[in-house]
Amino acid sequence: MPPSIHPVDLIAALRQHNLTPAIVFLTSRRACDDAMQAFERDQVALPPARRRNIAATLQELATQYPSIAEHPLVPIVERIGVAAHHAGHLPSWKIAIEELMRQGLLDAVFATTTLAAGVDFPARTVVITQSSVRKTRDFTDLTNSEVQQLAGRAGRRGKDLVGFAVVTPSPYIDLGVITKGLTGQPEPIDSQFSISYSMALNLLKAHPLGQIQSILARSFAQFQLNRRAETLESKLDTLHVQMEPYGPRVCTDWITQWQSFEQARKRKSQRVHPKRQEPPELTSRLHFLTPGRVVGLTRGRGIVLRQYRSRGQKSPMVTVVREAGAVTECPASTVTQVFDRMFDVQEAPAYPWCAPHSLDELTGHLSELPVRLPVLPILVQPEPEEREVALTLTDDFPCPTCSSRPACQKDHATALKLRQDVQRHQKMIHALRTGLWHRFQSRTDVLQQFGYLTPTCQLTADGEWARLIRMDHSLLITELIRAEAFTGVEPHVLAAIMSSISHDNDRPGSFPRMSPGLSTVMWQVRRLAESLAPHEDPPLLRADVAALTERWVSDPNLTWLGLCRTTTMAEGDIYRLLARTLEYLSQLHTLKGTHRGLADTADKAIKNLRRGVLEELP
Amino acid sequence: MTTDELEKLLAVQPVSLLHQLGRGRIPRHFRLGKRRLIEALLRSTATNRAGLESDLLALMKDGDQQQIRPQAQPRTEPASPRRQSVSGKPEPAEPATDLKAFLEGIGVPEPSPFVPDPWQEEALAHLAETDVIVSVPTGSGKTYVAVEATRRAIDAERTVIYTSPLKALSNTKFTEFSKLFGADRVGILTGDRRDNTHAPLLIMTTEILRNLLYDAAGGEIDVRLDTLGLVIMDESQYLADPERGVVWEETIIFCPTQARLLLLSASIGNPQDIAAWLTSIRPTPCHLVRHNRRTVPLRAGYLHPSGKLAPLFRSVGIPHGHASLHQESKRLFSQYEAETLQPRSR
Ligand SMILES: Nc1ncnc2c1ncn2[C@@H]1O[C@H](COP(=O)(O)OP(=O)(O)OP(=O)(O)O)[C@@H](O)[C@H]1O
Ligand SMILES: [Mg+2]
Repeated sequence: MPPSIHPVDLIAALRQHNLTPAIVFLTSRRACDDAMQAFERDQVALPPARRRNIAATLQELATQYPSIAEHPLVPIVERIGVAAHHAGHLPSWKIAIEELMRQGLLDAVFATTTLAAGVDFPARTVVITQSSVRKTRDFTDLTNSEVQQLAGRAGRRGKDLVGFAVVTPSPYIDLGVITKGLTGQPEPIDSQFSISYSMALNLLKAHPLGQIQSILARSFAQFQLNRRAETLESKLDTLHVQMEPYGPRVCTDWITQWQSFEQARKRKSQRVHPKRQEPPELTSRLHFLTPGRVVGLTRGRGIVLRQYRSRGQKSPMVTVVREAGAVTECPASTVTQVFDRMFDVQEAPAYPWCAPHSLDELTGHLSELPVRLPVLPILVQPEPEEREVALTLTDDFPCPTCSSRPACQKDHATALKLRQDVQRHQKMIHALRTGLWHRFQSRTDVLQQFGYLTPTCQLTADGEWARLIRMDHSLLITELIRAEAFTGVEPHVLAAIMSSISHDNDRPGSFPRMSPGLSTVMWQVRRLAESLAPHEDPPLLRADVAALTERWVSDPNLTWLGLCRTTTMAEGDIYRLLARTLEYLSQLHTLKGTHRGLADTADKAIKNLRRGVLEELP
Repeated sequence: MTTDELEKLLAVQPVSLLHQLGRGRIPRHFRLGKRRLIEALLRSTATNRAGLESDLLALMKDGDQQQIRPQAQPRTEPASPRRQSVSGKPEPAEPATDLKAFLEGIGVPEPSPFVPDPWQEEALAHLAETDVIVSVPTGSGKTYVAVEATRRAIDAERTVIYTSPLKALSNTKFTEFSKLFGADRVGILTGDRRDNTHAPLLIMTTEILRNLLYDAAGGEIDVRLDTLGLVIMDESQYLADPERGVVWEETIIFCPTQARLLLLSASIGNPQDIAAWLTSIRPTPCHLVRHNRRTVPLRAGYLHPSGKLAPLFRSVGIPHGHASLHQESKRLFSQYEAETLQPRSR
């Protein structure tokens, strides 16, 4: 028995139950193409009338999009009424398949789950063969919303009385994820607000610095942060009430006093700790790595059970329970993310540092956590020096003879924990309320350092034009312009550099070689990108991708097919690369007021670039 | 609604509905009993009751409609065989559906004149006064709301901007709207092209609109924004896109106050949050139109690699919340696992 159904059998089964037209979602483009190949040997062909209709529709579309006429998949689509639709195809081909589907001329389309929302592409049946999708590197389970977006394409209004979502197993399937997705509620969405250099410049162009904080406060990000802050504030209120019995005693700050006394007493017998040198990011995190906290680790997630210091180096460590209930010890520095999620833990003094039932509960919680969790905003601030205990002799403390001593001794542990809780809550609330503003300030600091902003946060002459560059890696691009890296370069070199900056996919492949002229400039771009790395993530700057664009722009006689033949990159990817390059070049063109030569070069590159299939769509 | 009224209303709801309300509001709501759940709901929404109220009303409405539907549309949801076989013995659970019932009713509906759905009317009516968010399932007919709202705005001599997340989608809509409104009344702006920018309806990606708004705020305007009456943001669930979501926020924050905002979104878990956010930053309170009903009923099936088909769930339609699998698909799936987990005989 094969691990999954053969595509030809799948379509036959769907046809037999009158479940066509169908969209079959497969895990990869490769799987879609393979499925199409499987039909090559299939003898079944459509009735002649259907074939003529498909041919006629394609012909009509080809008048608007000439690339359709020559598409190598045309014959098989006409013969069997089944097609593939994925990001490796040209937009014009995807439009053609969508149109055939709308007219009811196809029985099935093999597609990847990236089939975008909103593309009018419904069917009677949707076939789901996977329960996870590839996101950057790892596979993650489909969310309820994603399952519903896929299944939701089944059942066309006005064309179907009922729609079907059919699950068929493959080695990639977890039935639980899909049934949960079908029957569950879509997940709530969270703000993904981030502040870019160009956002900072554009805000400061239009508004005085004094207004920025209130503008940021209007974001959905701040709206959601405020809600979290409100929850914490009500918890803080409860904590304050719990603190009431531990108010001032003989000394006002008896908690600190008792703590110092305790420390002094212990230190009598012990060596003095070596002074800890930890990065401030880590120090500010430690406050939050308390029992019950959900954290992200290099692999998977865990819940903190305790925090301690290692014996030798005294470096901060955490004990965490991980998925499947494993309890592990790891350095606090290996925690990649601190999530805004806490669970109750019944702590215990020895391994596994919590009560057994607590451990079971936590393991259960871990497996139930949603795919996306809000991260805790943590402000990195220089910590006030941990109050060094000036008095090392216990005799210098009034505590031993104080009338409040028994009470202090008894309450200290509880009071200290409460006080730490209060402080932690105050820190979190502060971070939630002011985090965005701090992020904005860290952007303006860099912009001042580079001379795009004056010390009073006004745009400098460079800032005035730099704010027009509004794409990713804007700092790199504006710095390249200021370094005159593009002075006198050929249009094809400029286009090639822009495409290597815009391209963010590391899918390997074979590509043409680049010209010596391009490689000199490329070398300069790489060096600058590296030097900017502390302030902006460097782009991949792939030479092979740049060379492809260079080819297309430098040789106006090169045909699309000719270009595609020089590389293993799929034509849909080439198209997207060039289309994005066009957008980047257009932004350079908006600098015509200040950078005449650059704008002219960009314009020439645009003209050379936009031809053939790149002209088919606006 | 006062807190007391709200509490009373909550008290008469089924627990499952309360759990739905609890999602995203109360951690581990599924552990709580009814009484504690209501208390927790009231506590967690102490500062913002409106969201809870609107969700509650929406869920109650949903519940009502689900109850009426089987009678209203007997053809699309064939009665389960149980109707005929009700015997004296009460059964603990409804008997599972069979493949025949599962596959019954496939077909094309009779053509009928176009009648807008109540939710479409509701969205359009409110758009005359306020911003509107529509969060309904895929394929429900959000485009109709966009088109009709555009028509009304153009009739009132206001300009309209329609944004989509993707260039491909902008292109499709450009073709579609040009047919509807006439080519001279529709323009399109992309990163590198501007066609017919003086048309009353402009189509662009959200990034382009964000740039326009920044240009306008910075004093350089090249598209007239003073006559702007309506901004439609299609697929606004992109607000949660890790890379691009920020652009939706910027656009909404800087959207001119005289223009109405129409956000069209697929079903998301917390549209009431977005509505509350808009209400807090826009001149008029935002109206939320939301439902989770599918216009065309959906069923789920399981197809074994041998070509054998079975209903996935015990019921004909897709149940809400906790679901039990159909015994046949359960059997087929364990058979599949047994077959594929066996060591390869090669
Ligand atoms: N009131 C109605 N009566 C009958 N059919 C309708 C009605 N409203 C919309 N439709 C039809 O429903 C279909 C789907 O509509 P539309 O594309 O607008 O869905 P959508 O909500 O935008 O979906 P998506 O989430 O995929 O973008 C269209 O064919 C449309 O003509
Ligand atoms: Mg739509």
